[in-house]
Amino acid sequence: MIRIRVTTFLASLGVALTGLALPAMAQTTTIRIGYPGVGIDNRPYGYGDYPSIAAVGKYIEAEFKNQPNVKVTWTFFRGAGPALNESIAAGQIDFAAGLGDLPSIVGKSRGLNTEYLAAGGIHSPLYLAVPANSTITSIDQLRGKRVAEFRGTNLQMATDRVLQVHGFSEKDIRFISLDMNSATAALVSGAIDASFGGSEYLDLAKRGIVKIIYSTKGDDPTLGAESGIVVTTAFEKAHPDLTEKVVRGFVLAAKYGSDEANRQAVFAIWAKSGLPAGSFAADFKDERLAHRDSPVIDPYLIARYKDQVAHAKAYHLITNTVDVDSWFQPKYLNEALAELKLQNYWPTYDSRGNKLTDGAVEQTRAAGE
Amino acid sequence: MARSNRPVPQGSEMSGGTATLPPPAVRPRRRHPGTVRLGNLAIGVAMPIALLALWQASARFNILPEQILPPPQAVIGVLRDGWNDGSLQANTLVSLGRVANGFLAGGVIGLLVGVVLGLSAAWRAMVQPLFLTLAQVPILGWLPILILISGLGDTPKIIAIGWSTFVPVVLNTSQGIAQVPRSLLELGDVLSFSRWSRLRSIILPSAVPQIFTGLREGLANGWQTLVAVELLGSFSGLGYMMAYGRQLFQLEMVLAAVVVVGLIGVLLYLFLGFIERRLLRWQAGRS
Amino acid sequence: MTSLRPSLILHGRPYVIPVLLLLVWEITAHSGLVDSKFVPSLEAVARRGWAEIGDGDLGSDLLASLRRDMTGFVVGATLGLSFGLLMGFSALARRLFGPLLLVHRQIALFAWIPLLSAWFGGGEDGKLAFIAMAAFQPTLMNTWRGVANIPPSYRELAAVLTFNRLDFIRTIALPGAMPEIFVGLRSALIYAWIATIGSELLLDISPGLGGRMNEGQQLFEMDLLVFYLFVLGFVGVLLSLFALRLESHLIRWKAR
Repeated sequence: MIRIRVTTFLASLGVALTGLALPAMAQTTTIRIGYPGVGIDNRPYGYGDYPSIAAVGKYIEAEFKNQPNVKVTWTFFRGAGPALNESIAAGQIDFAAGLGDLPSIVGKSRGLNTEYLAAGGIHSPLYLAVPANSTITSIDQLRGKRVAEFRGTNLQMATDRVLQVHGFSEKDIRFISLDMNSATAALVSGAIDASFGGSEYLDLAKRGIVKIIYSTKGDDPTLGAESGIVVTTAFEKAHPDLTEKVVRGFVLAAKYGSDEANRQAVFAIWAKSGLPAGSFAADFKDERLAHRDSPVIDPYLIARYKDQVAHAKAYHLITNTVDVDSWFQPKYLNEALAELKLQNYWPTYDSRGNKLTDGAVEQTRAAGE
Repeated sequence: MARSNRPVPQGSEMSGGTATLPPPAVRPRRRHPGTVRLGNLAIGVAMPIALLALWQASARFNILPEQILPPPQAVIGVLRDGWNDGSLQANTLVSLGRVANGFLAGGVIGLLVGVVLGLSAAWRAMVQPLFLTLAQVPILGWLPILILISGLGDTPKIIAIGWSTFVPVVLNTSQGIAQVPRSLLELGDVLSFSRWSRLRSIILPSAVPQIFTGLREGLANGWQTLVAVELLGSFSGLGYMMAYGRQLFQLEMVLAAVVVVGLIGVLLYLFLGFIERRLLRWQAGRS
Repeated sequence: MTSLRPSLILHGRPYVIPVLLLLVWEITAHSGLVDSKFVPSLEAVARRGWAEIGDGDLGSDLLASLRRDMTGFVVGATLGLSFGLLMGFSALARRLFGPLLLVHRQIALFAWIPLLSAWFGGGEDGKLAFIAMAAFQPTLMNTWRGVANIPPSYRELAAVLTFNRLDFIRTIALPGAMPEIFVGLRSALIYAWIATIGSELLLDISPGLGGRMNEGQQLFEMDLLVFYLFVLGFVGVLLSLFALRLESHLIRWKAR
């Protein structure tokens, strides 16, 4: 009887595997894009970077208008970068758009085969928020307090750097890992004493529900968070043509998102996440859109990532190092820029942050300027 | 009815141990699933050893990528480092402490309520249906409300663990007491026992096996609940360790925490089994 | 008896305490003693519930959760049944897999979430794997026990009637083990539902009751959370009653 059962089991396994192989022979190719974040009440919209603009404006889908057998899907991950990594590992995502520096570095160091194609949202400031009636007024008073930090995301990296600059480490604080919406709720209800996060706290601060006691905005520019457009090596090798078109779509979205003339429109797009446009205005105060939405890979970006890799190792977040030079694949980006005649649209900077070349986007002006 | 008449597992039961059958009138030599006779030890450890060897081979020859299945040495390394810097012990103790508190609270209150319900059919009829309905809600369903009310610290966790202990303890205690054999109760009448004596010398001892079953289920439930609530959000504990490992894609840390959780589960199972056998021997000695 | 017999619902006594509690709650909510944010009045909950049903949210979320639950349950229960039968009938399988399966049983269910999430992703696959795992153990253990505890007289009968192995299993052993198997299936149904809600709270966002409750928690919508508590309880009761009905229907022949 056992013999019969085993044979039946193996037979059905064989049928199942064949069934799984069949879709691979089908004609349709699906490009699966993942975005590390969700909006308020978990709605599928991002904010603060140009990949979220690409999603709303369907820039990637537009590239395949004339190819009906190519489909594009977007998935928004509440679990941000770490959840995206899990999906990549499970083979369920081809492109991670706006993947933070830490999760992409962690993934690469753990053996996830990816290629870094373009910057996907850089110089994002870190904010430290406390409840409105809190007695905490500066970072130095965080010792021993209950603080939320979204572990594994580029927020953790930025937080660790900020803490290091102020002379203490993660061990001095009682950290809890919460996603963006949970952290906000916990902060407002007093379940935690402080939270490190992004622009989602600006509106709450305006309404007097929380206070922002620290921000990397205006501080050392290397203290912010970076993100990138990352593709799985498997997809890139199998479909270099599709990869090129996807990058093209992202570059066009980045162009839209960098043009100051679109400033209000861009804030309105990001407001689909549920955060009011006013928070983005505050987040981008005295800052040009192109400062965050530039997709170029220049010596500055490469130096930043090398720096982050070194810090990740120092904070024991990774054990194997990541070779940034071989990981970064600017060829698709360069091809897209050449094709679209945007080679000089964005300025480039050297590894120390000094400007190398000017960019046409610097001439764009918002309405009323 | 052929249905076995032990308490139907309700919504909050997540027992890791085997629920026991009520002792039959004549005890035939039944095979208990799970007892491994010493003679079969060699075959018994064959599978685990084979699996370990497969695991090691996978790591060595990269059969499964290392981010999916980190090598055994990595897991051991995490355990060792955690032991050396004290974080492993600290997290484990915090988790055990939460279970202990929750189990104590839920168990004691559950025993009291269970005794009251067991003694009074009227109260049973009034409370049991509501209670059973409440028990149908998965403990995780209560958690968003608990977290909103009492935050992310120990309180909501202990409340959740306490509730998941409370339910089986109440159900089993009340059933154990309500089902004391008529013959024993009549004996108490014949010997004109006072109510208190009856409770103390006849009812409670007779109900002990069933009460123990409830406590055992309660402890197993409490442990299951602990892991779930720690994963939802915590500052410390084994669940915190697991979440940390998951966020930073360090599966060896997750596996290390799973190993500790599994170990504690096994120890609990063995310990409770030992106590149960002792109890049954005492029970058999009395009757 | 502790099972929910439908006849009990007809008698008045079970309703005394719930009605009292609801009264106390309603009075507290309106008294102004407690922040209305934490204790929503019953009408607020009802109104919210009505809105959820009207929006179609409740329907689609409930359906999504149940679909997930059923799929995972079927996969897990089937595996549990197969392994349980194997363990019950084969001494070799018992010796080989017994210790391993027992250890697996002692690992708290939710401890598997981070691992399954890494192996199957946090999407539908990961959730199904988790739900299947939840349904697997109870089915396995009870099927195994059911087979192992077939009365010796049954086996003797088979020997007397010179049944071969297959016939014995088909006509005597399986039906004999059915009651115990059904206890396992009922248990598995409950665990699968717990796992469904758990997976929705802990894994990626997707349509389902857990996701909705997560939103409610983050947005401080107590009325939503309380309403969904009622929904969960209601579904739990329905599942239990459905399982009981199915069981008594299928093994009616065993009734005395």
